[in-house]
Amino acid sequence: MAKLSGVRHTHGIDLVKPLSITMLIAVMLPLVLLPLASIFIFGTSTGLASFWNALTAPEAVYALKLSMVTSFWATLFNVLFGLFAAYVLAKYTFWGRNAAIVLISIPTAIPTAVAGFALLLLWGPYGMLGQYLPPDKQIMFTPYAIILANIFVTFPLAFGVIMPVLETMSKSLEEASATMGATRWQTFWHVTLPSLRGAIVGGALLTFARSVGEFGSTILVSGNLAMRTQTAPLYIFAKFNEGQVEAANAIAIVLALFSFAIFSILFFARDWLEAD
Amino acid sequence: MTKSDTNNDSAVSIRDVSKKFGDTTVLEDINFDVTEGEIVVLLGASGSGKTTILRIISGLEMPGTGKVTLHGKDVTNIPARIRGTGVIFQSYALFPKMNVSQNIAYGLKLRRKPKKEIKQTIDRLVELVHLEEHKTKYPSQLSGGQQQRVAIARALAYEPEVLLFDEPFGALDAQIRTKLRREIRTLLKEIKVPSIFITHDQEEALELGDRIAVLNAGRIEQIGTPFEVYSKPSTEYVATFLGSANLLEGKIRNGKFESGEICLEVGGEYDFRDGQLVKLVVRPEDVFLRKPENLMQHYQKLTDGVIEELSFVGAFERVGVRLNIAEPRSIVVTRPKTETGAFPLEPGRQVTVGVVRFRILADHSRTSEQTKRAAS
Repeated sequence: MAKLSGVRHTHGIDLVKPLSITMLIAVMLPLVLLPLASIFIFGTSTGLASFWNALTAPEAVYALKLSMVTSFWATLFNVLFGLFAAYVLAKYTFWGRNAAIVLISIPTAIPTAVAGFALLLLWGPYGMLGQYLPPDKQIMFTPYAIILANIFVTFPLAFGVIMPVLETMSKSLEEASATMGATRWQTFWHVTLPSLRGAIVGGALLTFARSVGEFGSTILVSGNLAMRTQTAPLYIFAKFNEGQVEAANAIAIVLALFSFAIFSILFFARDWLEAD
Repeated sequence: MTKSDTNNDSAVSIRDVSKKFGDTTVLEDINFDVTEGEIVVLLGASGSGKTTILRIISGLEMPGTGKVTLHGKDVTNIPARIRGTGVIFQSYALFPKMNVSQNIAYGLKLRRKPKKEIKQTIDRLVELVHLEEHKTKYPSQLSGGQQQRVAIARALAYEPEVLLFDEPFGALDAQIRTKLRREIRTLLKEIKVPSIFITHDQEEALELGDRIAVLNAGRIEQIGTPFEVYSKPSTEYVATFLGSANLLEGKIRNGKFESGEICLEVGGEYDFRDGQLVKLVVRPEDVFLRKPENLMQHYQKLTDGVIEELSFVGAFERVGVRLNIAEPRSIVVTRPKTETGAFPLEPGRQVTVGVVRFRILADHSRTSEQTKRAAS
């Protein structure tokens, strides 16, 4: 990759470089680095034993597991749907195509609390559709509601990563495959899909990370019931409200490390994901 | 045989193919054959319809009307994947996530060939295209020329009915183009697979093709051997598109071409009526410049002229000559080094202009204009 290097506009000592780097750190320090650091400093201040106890508390383990499981299903759905939607929209031109792209992208612009509220109005016990569901089949205030909320708020993420790759993929690859004897499905499986490997993994990681951290919509649709519908972010919120800051902090550290790990994979494995 | 009959000896037969995109006609009444082991080049400017012909043969596009036959079998309505053509795209279209061997094996795997046979075919083909050292490399690790050879090997692997080359040298620089097209012609003559190339490069067409079909605005203007198409162009478009040509308007009188003071014996091969409007077509290398007293007998004198400009173009000299006729006009002459040494020229010098070879074409444009004027 080409490296951009600075162009010197002055002779002698160039103050612009050290000044701009100092300013960058000075802005990032209080806004990003210190809040993150404080989680780790506070979490380890009472010793590793209390941190471990807080982390292995049944409620905490349940919340983490629930977050992972609901995020997994939301990710699986959104990656598959994102792939399908991107394929259809990149391959075919039809009336309303742009409207469909806007519609898929809308959830990024909607506040998550509004998303949760909208789902409640639709699927809640007195909602537009929810009222027709029998009492024992209600979706709201169950883990399914969390999956539904996660699907909604992360809907465009995988699509947004896969679509540009598909749009720039040469049409002649698929045509070459067809002239060599491949069916449409064989072409998709052997030619198109491998070229989307990086985009699919990237889209999945983004969706999963965003789902695990989702709060605004899940607090409305899940009911926030400990050991039943309480996800990790809701657990942090509940424990903080109860004054159990150590318990909240332990999970906060796990979520922060988790996000850091996902971001690292996305950043450092980019070359591997895109490699031919 | 009428043009609608399919030639049973042909590997590829295109009959009465036409195609429209919306209201725009892109192909009209296309007819030609490719015999076993033959290389046919479709030569035309961009928008002439040559790519559409290739796509119709491969099955990537359906013709509006007409018939495509491959080795005697009508494939007009058969999808691309069943036709068994080998297409070498301009971008090569190698699968980026497959290495050289996997790219070559793809068509064979789709046909469920045994692993042993696939391996043998890969080994044979990488040897044929001289890529033994690069079997495990990915397309991004290969040069343009190497990628192209992989594309050919990949198409050859499943023994295609015909090889179709879509401007295969377009993405390469001039030096590599020349080297590769010679290599590929040798290779194609060795394997004897019927091939169709499309190009807009006349030099490429002349060097590659056993026959050349010159396309213009969706129609084949002329099809023939490179010598025929170059030396005996049947239309003004062919004369000017394939090489450069000097054109002089005139008319036939008493079996001679006349244009002002110019008068040339036409010969018996033409069938023009007296008074017919025609154009004289002379290639720059078929014009000879001599001292007025030196014109040899086997040249026909065109007229006298004055040297306007001289330019050195590598292997030859290009000369601009203003003809001494009532309506002064200039022609271009090219002279080989042997001649420039024997008879050096300078601007302003008087010369006699002779022609050794020329074509006379009916001048339909002026005929139709005059007819219109007469009608109005």
